[in-house]
Amino acid sequence: MTDALILESVSKLYGDFQAVDSLSLRIPRGSVYGFLGPNGAGKTTTLRMILEIIRPTSGTISVLGAPSALQVRDRIGYLPEEKGLYKKMKAWSTIAYFASLKGMGRKAAKTRAFELLEQYGLGDFAESKTEALSKGMQQKVQVLASIAHKPEFVILDEPFSGLDPVNQEVMEEVIRDMSSAGATVLFSTHVMSHAERICDRFVLIAKGASLFDGTVDEAKALMPRRVLIESAGDLSSLEQLPFVKSVQEDLNQPGLHEYRLKPDADPHHLLDAAYEKGIRLTRFDRSEPSLHDIFVHMVGPEAREATVR
Amino acid sequence: MRYAYLIAVREYLENVKTKGFWIGILLFPVILLASIKVTRFLEEEATPTRNFVLADFTGELEAVIDQGLNRSHQWRVFSAASDYVSKHTRKEFARKQIEEMDLEKIPSSVIDAMKSMRQEEDARFEGFLNSSDPKAWIRMMADSGVLVEDRPDFESPRPKFSRIPTPDWLDMNQSFKEVRALLKERLDESNPSDEKDLFAAVVIPDGILTPSKSNLLQFMGARPKEVEYWSINQADFDLRDSIRRALDRELQRRLYATEGLDEELIKNIQSDRVPVVSLDPKKKEGEEEVSLADTIRQYVPIGFVYLLWISLMSVVQMLLNNTVEEKSNRIVEVLLSSVTAGELMAGKLFGIACVGFTMLFAWIAALLGILHWHAGPEAEFVTKLLDIIENSGLLWIFLAYFLMAYLLYSGIFLAIGSVCSTIKDAQNFMGPVMIIMMVPLLTMMFIPKDPHGTLATVLSWIPIYTPFVMLNRAAANPPLFDIVGTTILGFVSVVVVIWLAGKVFRTAILRTGQAPRLVELWRWLKG
Repeated sequence: MTDALILESVSKLYGDFQAVDSLSLRIPRGSVYGFLGPNGAGKTTTLRMILEIIRPTSGTISVLGAPSALQVRDRIGYLPEEKGLYKKMKAWSTIAYFASLKGMGRKAAKTRAFELLEQYGLGDFAESKTEALSKGMQQKVQVLASIAHKPEFVILDEPFSGLDPVNQEVMEEVIRDMSSAGATVLFSTHVMSHAERICDRFVLIAKGASLFDGTVDEAKALMPRRVLIESAGDLSSLEQLPFVKSVQEDLNQPGLHEYRLKPDADPHHLLDAAYEKGIRLTRFDRSEPSLHDIFVHMVGPEAREATVR
Repeated sequence: MRYAYLIAVREYLENVKTKGFWIGILLFPVILLASIKVTRFLEEEATPTRNFVLADFTGELEAVIDQGLNRSHQWRVFSAASDYVSKHTRKEFARKQIEEMDLEKIPSSVIDAMKSMRQEEDARFEGFLNSSDPKAWIRMMADSGVLVEDRPDFESPRPKFSRIPTPDWLDMNQSFKEVRALLKERLDESNPSDEKDLFAAVVIPDGILTPSKSNLLQFMGARPKEVEYWSINQADFDLRDSIRRALDRELQRRLYATEGLDEELIKNIQSDRVPVVSLDPKKKEGEEEVSLADTIRQYVPIGFVYLLWISLMSVVQMLLNNTVEEKSNRIVEVLLSSVTAGELMAGKLFGIACVGFTMLFAWIAALLGILHWHAGPEAEFVTKLLDIIENSGLLWIFLAYFLMAYLLYSGIFLAIGSVCSTIKDAQNFMGPVMIIMMVPLLTMMFIPKDPHGTLATVLSWIPIYTPFVMLNRAAANPPLFDIVGTTILGFVSVVVVIWLAGKVFRTAILRTGQAPRLVELWRWLKG
């Protein structure tokens, strides 16, 4: 089977501003793909180019095997970053309307709208005007509107922003449901924990260029290992060990040290060494690097510089 | 095309399903009706009889003024009685009356028309005055079998003004200046809405009716003797005019007498007119005379121009609001992932056009309904108006020009909506557009007077004014060259405007933040 999405050295220039810089990407069908990056990294621009809402300056895009998203637009679902609905429309008719714009028949769209609202806990609000709904509910309605036509390829721009923790879980559920129904999901986010939980693979971009593309495990392997050690004793002998890259003492908690190990080192060797040297540890924490750490590590300095367009 | 249709349906339903839309539609006939009924009611019923005091230093004009006011009042009673009679006239008599009163036959030159009606009215008025009491007069009509049996009693209107006898506080032995100061003070304290209070005071200096022998004093800058009309309401001239007419008549009567002239003879001579007939060369042999109906026909389009303007403003405003809403809510992004910008635009234009036509049909139906309700034997004018509206084809011309105007202006407003992120931004753009759009409203009253003049012709050829001005001229049979030429120009402009609007729309609709500068706009139009 072909990939759901292929980007080949896609660039976008706004005047002199390079929003996207020869980005290449392949998203296999059926996968859940995270699209990560700091503000102004070019995520939304890329998503809009994928949808053919705007045209790339150069490069080629292939969506579901077609050279333009317009040809397969009925098979794509899209949730934009900034959420908004027609205020005076009822929840069900909003969903049905957007589904009908994706080629669904009117009756089928209506049935589907009520079904979805029921399924995701908004059954009682189907007849409410969207302006009467809470912000979280409105967002749910919009998400449902973007997937009502059972798209093969769903593009979600910041689907978690503005949702409370419970609804964030509902959103994760929506993504998982779609994935298990065989759809390909591409979503951008800032919240790394979601990405970590539900992504098969992710791409990290900054300043319009790809920094990393792969699975979460692959990303973790690139990160230096981190171990937290807390002890009242003298730890200087541990700092001399060959596989330790650097040590930093936490200024707020005296005695708590962060050890960064060389990439292929086993944290267990550090514990062995402490035992051998008779150092009494009150805490030994070999935490896995989170996607959050990976994000900060890879794009931290750039994200600070990046100006929000 | 299917997507454009879906968008159009949504736009249509969203606007038509609102309460505001239907309230607006209902309000139009209600206000139209109220403006007829309420002003009439206020004039006839709601105004109390106003009191005034007369300080007459000549000591001989009280009767003249009372008589004059009584005549004015009797005229009002007579009008009311005439209205009453024609309202309750039997159908067969009414039809006969209409045939006599055929507006198509009445010459258009208003003076002539007025004169013939006046003479008839005057004769009836004299008869009425002689019959001492309106009830008796009506009874006389009823006895002759003209009136229907089942009718309410006639209510005579109250006198508008009543002269109160010289009050105690007013000592006529004082000087003119003192009396005047006294009255001024009293009037100043009066409450205009209080029925018992003074509404006005009339001070007549001595010797006012003695003709001045020389104009030298006036020439030197001295003021001649004047009747002083003091009133707390300077907008209501009825009383002042009645008194002036009464005094004028008295002055003339006295002058005729001193000069030994026959008053009746002079009146007759004064009412004589040289007959002038207006002819229209475009009409058939033998029917060239311009009738009052033709004149009405010429002015009816003004109403349509106004209707066109109001309805156009309402719908383009909807278009603007919807576009700005979609843009500021970012709904447009979802839409554009489903449909192309062209489909979106076409859908919106079509949907709102249907809203506009719905509104127009509702309004026209209401208008015709009200006219039909008012039409009938007693309202020849309304009947004629209705006939003109329904049978002259003006309605179709109106709808066609509405379509042209809509397409032209909707393109402009759609472009404005697409570049603005908020309604506030949009209002900045709207200002100049509104001023430009006001022009046809300012000229609509003048154009029927000179429908083929330079102003009308020049404005007709400016596409944004074509629909208004050509509609304005429609009843005057504008030259074929103007009709065909401006229509072609109009539709070419529609195509150009929509095409340019499409360019702006596509570029601007996804942009956020500040509205673009003019230079940028220009670049979009070129690129």
